[in-house]
Amino acid sequence: MHMANELLSLPIAGGGLVVAGGALGLICRKAKQVITSGKLALMGILGAFVFAAQMVNFRLPAMPGTSGHIVGAVLLAIILGPHAAAIVMASVVIVQCLIFQDGGLLALGCNIINMALIPTYAGYYLYRIVAAKPFSNFRTYVGVMLACLIGIEIGAVLVPVQAALSGVLVIPFSTFLITMISVHFLVGTVEGIVTVTVLVYIQQVRPDIVAGNLQGKVRLSRRTALATFAVFTIIIGAGLSLLASGMPDGLEWSYAERPDQPNFEPIISNSDSRIAAVDKLQSKYSLMPEYSVRNNDEDEKHQASAGWTSFAGVFGSITTMAVIWLTAWILRRRNSGAIVTR
Amino acid sequence: MAKTIEIKNFSYKYPDGTVALSDINLSIEEKQKVVLIGPNGAGKSTLMLAMAGFATGQGEIIVKGLKVEKKSLKKIRTVIGCCFENPDDQLFMPTLFDDIAFGPLNMGFNAEQVKIRVTQALRTVGMEAMAEKAPHHLSAGQKRAAAIATVLSMSPEIIALDEPDGSLDPRNREKLVVLLKNLSQTLIIATCNMNFAAAIGDRAVLVDKGRIIADGDAKEIMFDTKLMTEYGLERPAIVA
Amino acid sequence: MHHAYIDKFAYQDSVVHSLDARVKFIAAVFFTAVVISLPRTSFAILFCYTVGPFAVLVLGRIPLKFVFKQILLVSPFILVFALSCPLYDKTPVKVSFGPSVFQTTVGWMRCCAICGKFVVTMLALIALVSTTRFSNLLAGLRKMGVPKLLIIQLGFLYRYIFVLIDTAQHLLRARAGRTLRNLGPKQEMKTASAMLGSLFIRSIDTAEQISIAMHGRGFNGNWRTISRLKISNNDYIFGVFFVVFIISLYFFASTVLN
Repeated sequence: MHMANELLSLPIAGGGLVVAGGALGLICRKAKQVITSGKLALMGILGAFVFAAQMVNFRLPAMPGTSGHIVGAVLLAIILGPHAAAIVMASVVIVQCLIFQDGGLLALGCNIINMALIPTYAGYYLYRIVAAKPFSNFRTYVGVMLACLIGIEIGAVLVPVQAALSGVLVIPFSTFLITMISVHFLVGTVEGIVTVTVLVYIQQVRPDIVAGNLQGKVRLSRRTALATFAVFTIIIGAGLSLLASGMPDGLEWSYAERPDQPNFEPIISNSDSRIAAVDKLQSKYSLMPEYSVRNNDEDEKHQASAGWTSFAGVFGSITTMAVIWLTAWILRRRNSGAIVTR
Repeated sequence: MAKTIEIKNFSYKYPDGTVALSDINLSIEEKQKVVLIGPNGAGKSTLMLAMAGFATGQGEIIVKGLKVEKKSLKKIRTVIGCCFENPDDQLFMPTLFDDIAFGPLNMGFNAEQVKIRVTQALRTVGMEAMAEKAPHHLSAGQKRAAAIATVLSMSPEIIALDEPDGSLDPRNREKLVVLLKNLSQTLIIATCNMNFAAAIGDRAVLVDKGRIIADGDAKEIMFDTKLMTEYGLERPAIVA
Repeated sequence: MHHAYIDKFAYQDSVVHSLDARVKFIAAVFFTAVVISLPRTSFAILFCYTVGPFAVLVLGRIPLKFVFKQILLVSPFILVFALSCPLYDKTPVKVSFGPSVFQTTVGWMRCCAICGKFVVTMLALIALVSTTRFSNLLAGLRKMGVPKLLIIQLGFLYRYIFVLIDTAQHLLRARAGRTLRNLGPKQEMKTASAMLGSLFIRSIDTAEQISIAMHGRGFNGNWRTISRLKISNNDYIFGVFFVVFIISLYFFASTVLN
């Protein structure tokens, strides 16, 4: 669910960067007091672990062809505490962008919020609330499952919200939202199951690592698992019926400009004052004037001339690129004649 | 000759209660090249960790006249440079330069001095051109040499190396032998490769099950076929 | 392994490689900002913007084949998003380009615009990261005020992802070597979590070893590094070129749009 630059407008992307940057600054300051010199390496390695763990995929039950992988936010939060985990997850998202080009440069702020800050904090506190004392196997199961699911879902919901606020959505908002929710429902559930089993494994092999945040011994048990699934079914049932009882109509809007399809207007609640305000903000802070699609006859002439300018621009660019490439090629040939490169 | 390291009646247990070292008595003299030999799990690495103050147990360890204890650790770690088994653990910074500069910076040298030390250390291991490389772009042999450079830059008087020959091909091992032989510091090398040990060491200490079994001239011990086979080791193939 | 070489081009030598990381980073961010705020329907202008990253990539001797492979590799999500546009917006529209005029829909134009912007901003990002060593980028970000703790994390991460990815691959290979039939979901899950568990324990062991190595070299909690960044004349020249490029394209775009 890495956001690309194109799914965001400048104000939203910038806002995301500011919020993520500010939050990380605060968290780092806060975490300084909690992080001992011995923990630094551990944090770094666990970040790398999250990467490597994403390669260990497995076939999802009942869904041949797809595969799930763990994201690790809740696991890290349980082991390192939320602050350190948030820093680690943020660094993972940054490296995904800067080394693997996963997610855009400007979208980095939003990506950090959606995939690092929200899942760790929301997940951690949910886990703490549900799995609070007295300790029980069942509570831990439900706590971890809920933490993973809800943390990931909130992050996933933010993606269409940010895109909608940016005004780039052509797909109806609700469609996008429902797709994201249902896809990440699967991802979150699998993540929850994996997190529980990995926690159990760690507690068997290295109990000292999770001692601080797991108050008792977690075991794998069929009964607890079944009970957890029962609870989940109820929660999900309730959630689905809420959703079915009607998506709030105010959310149902799309940003496609369709001056020639008046029957589309009613659904587009651009009349909503908040959205209009966002829209205004958008055009205010946009570096380029917005260009509307012209399709009227009187504009035909204008459009044709614009077409020629575009044509000139494209060919100019191609020529420039060719010149650059040729120059570089000639320079390289001359150089490799003089000195052996590398 | 002056004693560099003195270990008196040292014993160490792992947190789970397993005895790792029991009643070790060992003294190492300045400029000696000592090889700690023994089968896997004999306690060689633990003995090395203990010398640098990473494993505290009963008994006494004195490094350069300083007793190894919590308050002297900072000083001791500038005297004894440790290079651990896996160079990937030793090289933890994004570039070689940063890695080699890490120790000197912690010792409080200023930027200019650190740069000189880094250059010198890199020259010693023959990697001057690679300061800005990232460790994951280095070959196994280069990583090993780089790991030694990270310690050399702190100009310690003693260098302790744990299995420095691990996963090296013969040519790189040969290079490493030349490099280590030319070092002027006191060397303590733990290894279970007898050819490698014989090529470098002038004194050998045979360790098994946490005890010192034999201690003496490297050739005498390693060419004692009976002793070596008894402890699951082998006679070196070449006469160094 | 593929991943271990993903940043190999960053270690080449060229004029662009020698530019200061901060200058390149700011340029890439600004360039991306300009591109994403371009109108959604003007490909010609978008196309003109590719000249910038193209020049950097060519001068940096980055093979364009590598660049496009990399873009393809990260494109699935955006492709799904872009290709769904034509399904939702079927408003007909006429597009003229030079001598030719053709009929299409707004949805398709959107689709192309999204893909186009994606490619152009990706070109900029790849131009940045494949001509800048990550360590220099980190040093630059530190100088620009990114918290030290985060920089340390990023440094460790960069250093150890490749190590751990290798380990994970060895584990996967071991599993593949012994999995001779479909095991069923329960067994599949069990193996996966045992693998993740052992990967995790190995990571913890590595972390402990590193911690020992750090403290063995006198680390006491105060992280010190020497910055070797320096702004040179080349950086000023690059800056001038960049500004001229952006400004002239802005004027060009304005004439096309009005």
